[in-house]
Amino acid sequence: MLKVSVVSPEATLYEGDATSVVAPAFDGEVGILENHAPMITVLGQGTLRVEGSAPARFAVSGGFVQVVDNQVRVVTEKATPA
Amino acid sequence: MAKGRELVGRIKTTENMRKITRTMEMVATSKMKRASDRVAAARPYAKALSDVISSLFNADLAERFPLLRQPGAEQRVAVLLMTANRGLCGGFNANLIKEARLTVGQLEERGVRVDLHVVGRKGIGYYRYLGRDLVTARNDITDRPSAADAASLVDGLMADFAAGVIDGVYVIHSKFNSVLSTPPHTERVLPVAAPKRSGAGRDYLLYPSADAILTELLPSYVRNAVYRGLVETAAAEQAARRTAMKSATDNAGEMLNLLRRTYNRARQANITQEIAEIVGGAAALQG
Repeated sequence: MLKVSVVSPEATLYEGDATSVVAPAFDGEVGILENHAPMITVLGQGTLRVEGSAPARFAVSGGFVQVVDNQVRVVTEKATPA
Repeated sequence: MAKGRELVGRIKTTENMRKITRTMEMVATSKMKRASDRVAAARPYAKALSDVISSLFNADLAERFPLLRQPGAEQRVAVLLMTANRGLCGGFNANLIKEARLTVGQLEERGVRVDLHVVGRKGIGYYRYLGRDLVTARNDITDRPSAADAASLVDGLMADFAAGVIDGVYVIHSKFNSVLSTPPHTERVLPVAAPKRSGAGRDYLLYPSADAILTELLPSYVRNAVYRGLVETAAAEQAARRTAMKSATDNAGEMLNLLRRTYNRARQANITQEIAEIVGGAAALQG
């Protein structure tokens, strides 16, 4: 299980467990599953998809994703539920 | 009973005033609750940013990024003062302005040129009164500041700093420690002071590179510092107003007690005197 949180300056938009996350990185989509190596990548523009028991989608633009110890943190200035 | 009439009038006025201040106290309480929720909601983002920046930061990088540039001697700096748009909140605005005067005074004593940027009608009014030129005067920021407001305030300053026009940016805002403690605070947001690394650094896979990630994150970090200042000032303003209105309500209550007591005493004295006159009159007729 991955612990996922999506945070913007004004609020935490999502917090929960997921089986996978697909994020729009600067050069194309990046998929994140369990036991991913620690990673930080810059985001581009696109749709962030969180799959699992509580699936969610966000339109994001800019920011970054940090993956460490099965925790995924999506940090972006612009994120709207889509 | 001329004095009695006058007292009745004053009692009514005081009652009305207490009604108003009590309402303002309740309004401020509910606004403060929402504002302090926003302060709490802004924390995870700030923490995530400083975590990542501190894990990527090292001294080599510092020389390559314009936002990390450490100018030798400051020649020209920008001071961003955040105040409220409204009064009736005790010493809140006065404290912020005092802090600003102190900071600006210290800078100017060292021969630094200071550009003043002021948010909030109260601060603008004060510096207009002094006849000082303000580079920006914003009174359109509501008590629910957004990240976009912060960006519009600081983006120009970041560009100026990167270009070497200014050598530093100071933000003066209120810290929202708790409802009762909201001291004014001066924070230097540029050049960026890299947050201290907590715990052991992890080896991250970095895409595309540490440089590219920092280029993206440093401006966000500065914008977030300003956003946090705005949110905390908004919450502190409501807290200060609540405290001020609470003591105004309490004072009105005390004054009411005093006025009512004086009124009743005057009324009683009047009655006693009338009785004495009647009894005196009756005794005179009998005698």
